Amino acid sequence: MKSPFRPASPPDTAILDDHKPLVRSLERRGFVRGGLSLGALAMLTGCDVTRPEAVEAALLAISRFNDGVQALLFDSNKLAPTYPASMILRPPKFNAYYDVTNVQPVDGAGWRLEVSGLVANKRAWTLSDLQALPQRSIVIKHICVEGWSYIGGWTGVPLRAFLERVGADLRAKYVAFKTADDYPSSIDMASALHPQTLLALQYGGETLADPFGFPMRLRTAVKLGYKNPKWVTAIEVTNDYPGGYWESLGFPWFAGI
Amino acid sequence: MHWVNAVVMLIMITSGWGIYDDDVIIRGFHFSSFWRLGDWAAWSLNWHFAGMWFLVINGLIYLAYGFASGRFREKLLPIRPSEVVQTVIETLHFKIAHEDITVYNAVQKLLYIIVIFAGIAQVVTGIAIWKPVQFSGLVSLLGGFETARVLHFAGMAIIVGFLLVHVALALLVPKTLWAMIAGGPRLKARGQTK
Amino acid sequence: MASLRLMLVCGMLAVATAAHAQSKTPGGMPPPPGMSLAESTAMRFPQPVRVGDLVGRAVLRPVESQDVLGRVRRVVRDQNGRIMVVVEFGGFLGFGGRPIAVPVDAMVLLGQDMEIVAFTPEQLRQFPTFSPTGTTDVPADTIIKVGLAKPSH
Repeated sequence: MKSPFRPASPPDTAILDDHKPLVRSLERRGFVRGGLSLGALAMLTGCDVTRPEAVEAALLAISRFNDGVQALLFDSNKLAPTYPASMILRPPKFNAYYDVTNVQPVDGAGWRLEVSGLVANKRAWTLSDLQALPQRSIVIKHICVEGWSYIGGWTGVPLRAFLERVGADLRAKYVAFKTADDYPSSIDMASALHPQTLLALQYGGETLADPFGFPMRLRTAVKLGYKNPKWVTAIEVTNDYPGGYWESLGFPWFAGI
Repeated sequence: MHWVNAVVMLIMITSGWGIYDDDVIIRGFHFSSFWRLGDWAAWSLNWHFAGMWFLVINGLIYLAYGFASGRFREKLLPIRPSEVVQTVIETLHFKIAHEDITVYNAVQKLLYIIVIFAGIAQVVTGIAIWKPVQFSGLVSLLGGFETARVLHFAGMAIIVGFLLVHVALALLVPKTLWAMIAGGPRLKARGQTK
Repeated sequence: MASLRLMLVCGMLAVATAAHAQSKTPGGMPPPPGMSLAESTAMRFPQPVRVGDLVGRAVLRPVESQDVLGRVRRVVRDQNGRIMVVVEFGGFLGFGGRPIAVPVDAMVLLGQDMEIVAFTPEQLRQFPTFSPTGTTDVPADTIIKVGLAKPSH
């Protein structure tokens, strides 16, 4: 048995004979028993596992650490696989934090995209303003944190091009979104600048339908579905962590795929 | 190391069940809340993404030690098919007394090798479904995102199957339990060799 | 100070969890009593879908375990012109089911599948076996409108 943790030959158990009286006298004095109390253990570790908030705080701390790991793993030159347009699911799968009957359609004519934060040009955009910009189409796999996926096709303004146009500080950390359905969301700048991140105006070559974010939604190929807000009404470039709807409920923030 | 792995594996399995319920793979089959770690999906995910670090670090140390010390070669090889059949027959006849528990019989060797590979497969398929774009090559090798998900589930099923057999046999041969807690088989008293 | 921070995190989580429980509506709920199937579909932002793409789709129960109720066999118009989805109902792994006709307004699209939201499995079991007499097949390239729902977990 080559284990370094076990002696080559078993020890002569006779050595225990000399120890027995000593051990018995220690036990009588209660040293051993007293030292093994749970309270003593708790003080040693500084962590009370009987309080659930401490456990949740620890899990959230690890989740933030994972965000850092994901940022390191993110290769901005890596493109998500693309698919033929014939594979686009029509209509796509609907999801939100409420069922479809609560969708509040947005009036396209009256809609404005507000721009704020670390940008040079803070004027609001209309739908036709956005439609006039060069568009890009992507057919990619939407992956939901729940586990399901489908292949969808979106057309829109690359977010990078839009940020350059409004003179955004591209070294800022976050791009944050506000929506008409009170679903704040934000992504890291590196993902925002990725070529497969769009301000999408169309699905499957047709105008976005109401349940799928008309007039404009974020669509990125490098993040889970919940990082793609629908019915976007405002974009902010910032260095202050903006968080998001699901993140406030414990979900991870980076959520890269 | 064994007990760290046991706790971490249970964390991964039960939090994984919570994640599975969010979109079941086998339609009609889901895990009731009793079996899930995490009140709902967000916390199952957080447990899963926390436990994974401990699983991988502990697993890597175990693999490195096992190869470097020759322990794997010594305890897990060779496996002869005739020995496997013989041991299965003996086990089914409940002839499971195990004189020297530091020596593994053929079925043990096979099951331990299977569970080690299943554990490695879980890490590989897990990484694929965690980052299917960053590791899209790996995902293609596995047959696509949906297939990788199914493989991850299948690996879990293999490990759970192993655990049921492993725990049952340990309980049926109690001196193995003591050895796992104490670090080795119990020595006989007073100068006798084991 | 550490305990104060922990209390803030705990309080935030407690409030957020409560808010989450209030704002979240479960997916695929049946129409409220008194509402017609057509009205309930109208509330679900019905989307155009190609009839041929529906054939073969799994039909699920709107519950977490996503029980399979059956598969879409064909889509027909009944004598009154109503669109009915013929579902191979019950059975196991494709054997032993029987076709029943479910009004399309009782169903929703869920990604690559469909769900029956207006009838429970017990009610569906009472449906008569489908008979093609008096019905006409809807051609595969026809576009019909079907309501949506979010996943039901």
